[in-house]
Order: sequence, then structure tokens, then C-alpha cells
Amino acid sequence: MKAYLSQIWVCRWFWFSLVRMDLRARYRGSVLGMGWSLLNPIAMTVIFCTVFATLLNQDIHFYAPYVMAGIAVWNFFLHSTLEGCQCFLRAESYIRQYPAPMAIYPLRNTLSHGFHLVLASFLVIALSLALRGWTGILPIFSLLVSLPIFLVAGWAVSVLFGLANIHFRDTRHLAEIGFQILFYLSPIMYPSSLLIDRGLGWMVHINPVVPFLDLIRIPMLEGKIADPLTWGLAMGISMLLGLVGCLALRAKEDKVILHL
Amino acid sequence: MALVVLDQVSLTFKVRQNKVLTLKEFLVGQMFRKGNYPQMEVKALKEVSFEVAKGERLGILGHNGAGKSTLLKMLAGIYRPSSGKREVIGKISSLFDIHLGFEPEANGWENIAYRSYLQGETPSTLKEKVQAIADFTELGDFLNMPVRYYSAGMMVRLAFAIATSIDPEILLIDEVLSAGDLAFQQKAIKRMREMMDRAQLVIMVSHDLISIRNFCTRGLWMDHGSVKQIGPINEVVLAYQESVRSQTKAA
Repeated sequence: MKAYLSQIWVCRWFWFSLVRMDLRARYRGSVLGMGWSLLNPIAMTVIFCTVFATLLNQDIHFYAPYVMAGIAVWNFFLHSTLEGCQCFLRAESYIRQYPAPMAIYPLRNTLSHGFHLVLASFLVIALSLALRGWTGILPIFSLLVSLPIFLVAGWAVSVLFGLANIHFRDTRHLAEIGFQILFYLSPIMYPSSLLIDRGLGWMVHINPVVPFLDLIRIPMLEGKIADPLTWGLAMGISMLLGLVGCLALRAKEDKVILHL
Repeated sequence: MALVVLDQVSLTFKVRQNKVLTLKEFLVGQMFRKGNYPQMEVKALKEVSFEVAKGERLGILGHNGAGKSTLLKMLAGIYRPSSGKREVIGKISSLFDIHLGFEPEANGWENIAYRSYLQGETPSTLKEKVQAIADFTELGDFLNMPVRYYSAGMMVRLAFAIATSIDPEILLIDEVLSAGDLAFQQKAIKRMREMMDRAQLVIMVSHDLISIRNFCTRGLWMDHGSVKQIGPINEVVLAYQESVRSQTKAA
């Protein structure tokens, strides 16, 4: 374990430069640079606000940052998973040339999406400042602290879906369908209170995405740190995923190359 | 100190005979056909044993598909042996498929950087080398261009310059000497030689029997995944040439 981690550390410059290149490739060639990638959450928020704020009878001061935070979290997990599916296939030529630890390829994926999550969080902070006013530094600090929880979970789903995809090449396609369904089941564009009020609270309670959503929404919307249960659930899910990811990787580390 | 020891190493691949499997097919297959996915076993290496010590240069020869490249990749740690023991003391540098694994969207400089990091450089060690690498490619301003616009020859120049910028302890080489135009080839051979001379131990695969004979001290003849002969390079090359000659005669 320790030896493995030190191997990851040894080739840090390699995966770090890949992450940087992924980010640069994404921002280069667009006039707006980083702004371009934020256009998606902004546009989604605007659309949701025009349609659903009225339809669901929501106060825009609450609803706009609520939706934007939801989209930020959702996009992180969606892209960590979908692009995670390709993480080993994409790295085939490296894997065939150098015996670098496999963990770095999902890591590349997660870190670049983690960066987008941070960017999108800034947007949420700005929006909630504009609409809800300054509620102190604590909520922002709490976002910062929760970032590692997101990264561990994101890395684990990249590993698991990446490994699944080298065995079954339709994993990405199935994951897309799964995420589509999960999107409508999750309180992203509608407030969870709507479900709870109509006796569908269990759907909120069993949804593994909800603690992660709350981890950003509670500080941003209510100006306080999320309750211990939310932290505990998010950390628990993230650690469980992380553990499964580590075990899966340990079992498959040497065999990845045979399936490429 | 550099040492490579293989003890009864075998490597078996399981290859699916059909195309890639999808989860849908797999589940349906499990339900109705009790899952029948024929796998073919390929014994790529069979109980290979040898030892190469510091100062030695081992040339591997054999016909296509004899397991030469697989052996080299196993030595590099890319394939884990199915059975047997592989022991390597020293830091391995390898030159396989050096033209693969470039990021097409990144420019020449960026590709130099992260390829070098993959070869174990750090920003401070790279700083000293990067200009030398760039000069060797003779690509000039093209290095500022994404490599997706490079011609095949330009790619070779870039790949070769990066791959040969290392100071190897143990060097594994798989047929890389077909680099670019004539002028570059002369330069390339010289640079390759210099790099190999710096290495403490070299293991190379080549079909170029003349250069293998010039450069190597020992020869290893691989045949269908097994060691057919190992010994002084001249003996092994002669025996190999003899067998090829008698085969072509028979045919």
C-alpha cells in the first residue's frame, strides 16, 4: 500500500501535467476561456429558473443558487463517471509503455472534474452572495473542507466505471441511461421538500447523491455548516466507494493491460 | 548495480475469440445460454530463465510472434508473469512504441514535458534537458504547434529525441531504429549508440542482425515463447541464420 502510494507520488509530474493539459485543452480555443465551461451551469440555471421557479412556485432568491449548486454537484459526478469509463482506454498507449500505477489514470479524470467543481462552486458562492447577501466566511470554509470528500468519491467512481468498461464496453452507454433516470429521481431541479411533503421522503433518504448535494446547498443557502448526519453520510458513502475502488483496483491492477 | 534475473517465467494470455463483450449480451447470455464465451489461451512465454548482469548487452532474436516483444514488456514490468520469478535490480528505462501516446491537442513543448515526466524527469531535471531535446528534433517553430498537425516524420523526430534523452541504468529497446529521413537516421544512430553506451545493461530486440552482432555481447534466440538458445552473440546469430536458411530451402 505504502509502496503503491509512493509510486503514485514518484510519477506525480506526469499525471499532474496531464491534468493541466486536459484543463488547458478544454479552455483553449474559446474566447471566453474558463467562462465558457461555466456557461453550461449558468444556462441551465437560467432555464430552470424561468420555467420551474414559476411552475413549482419557488422564490427565485432561494431557487437560483439551489439549482446551480445542484447542477455543479451533478455535473461532477456525471462526468467523473462517464469520462471515468474511458480513463483506462484513453491511457492505453501509456499503459503499454510504462508500468505506472493504474490509479493515476482515474485520478487524472477526477482532478480535472474537481477543478470544474471548484469553478462552479465559485459561481454558486457569487450567486448566493448576490441574491442572499453575506453570511460569513464559515459556509465558504465548509465548502473547502468538503472538497476532498467529493474527490475521493469521484476517484472511486472513475476507477469502478473505468474497470467495468474494459470488461463490458457498453458500460458508458448504460451509465448514461442510469444517470438520466437518477437525475429525475434526485432533488436537483426541484426542492427535496416537495418530495418530503408528498410522502416521498424515502426517495430522498435513500438517494446517495443527496448528502453530497446538501453538503454544498446547506452552507450556501442557509448560511450554516451542514448537520453532522449529512457530513457523516457523505463521508461514509465516499469512504465506502473509495474502499471498494481500492479493492477493485488491487484485484485488477495487473490485468487491466490484458483487456485493452 | 544492474541485474536482471528470470526464473522459469511463463506468461499466459486469455483471449476472447469473439469481439468485445457488452454487459447486455453477457447478462442475456447468462440467462439463456448459460454463458458461453470461448476463451483462447495463448502461451506467450514458456518457462523462460536467464540472467543478465551489469556490462552485458543481450540481443534477442527470433521470428515474428516468437515472444520477443512480450518478453521485453514483461521485463519492463508492464506484464506480470503468470508464474515464475522476475527479479530486477536497477532502474529500468524502456523504448517501446515510442511514437505512441502523444497528446494530439498539446504542442511539441508540452509533449516533451509530460513524456519526460513519464520517463522519470522532474521539472528541475527537465529544465536542463528540454533545450537539447528541442534542438535535436530540429523542428524549430513547429514545436509551438499542436502535434496533431505533425507529419509522420516529424512525430518520429520528436518521439526519438525525447525517448533517447534519458540516462538509463537498464535499457530495454524494441526496434526503434527506423527514424525519419536519411540525415536524421544518421544522427539517430549516433545518439542511440551514445545512450546505449551510457547504460549499464542493455537488452534489445532487433531484426537487424548486423547491428545486433556489432553491439551485443550475448544473444537470446526465442522460438514460440521458449528460449531456443542463449550464448555468445556470434554463435546464436549463426545458428539462427542457419535455421532460417534451412527453413526457406525446405519451403
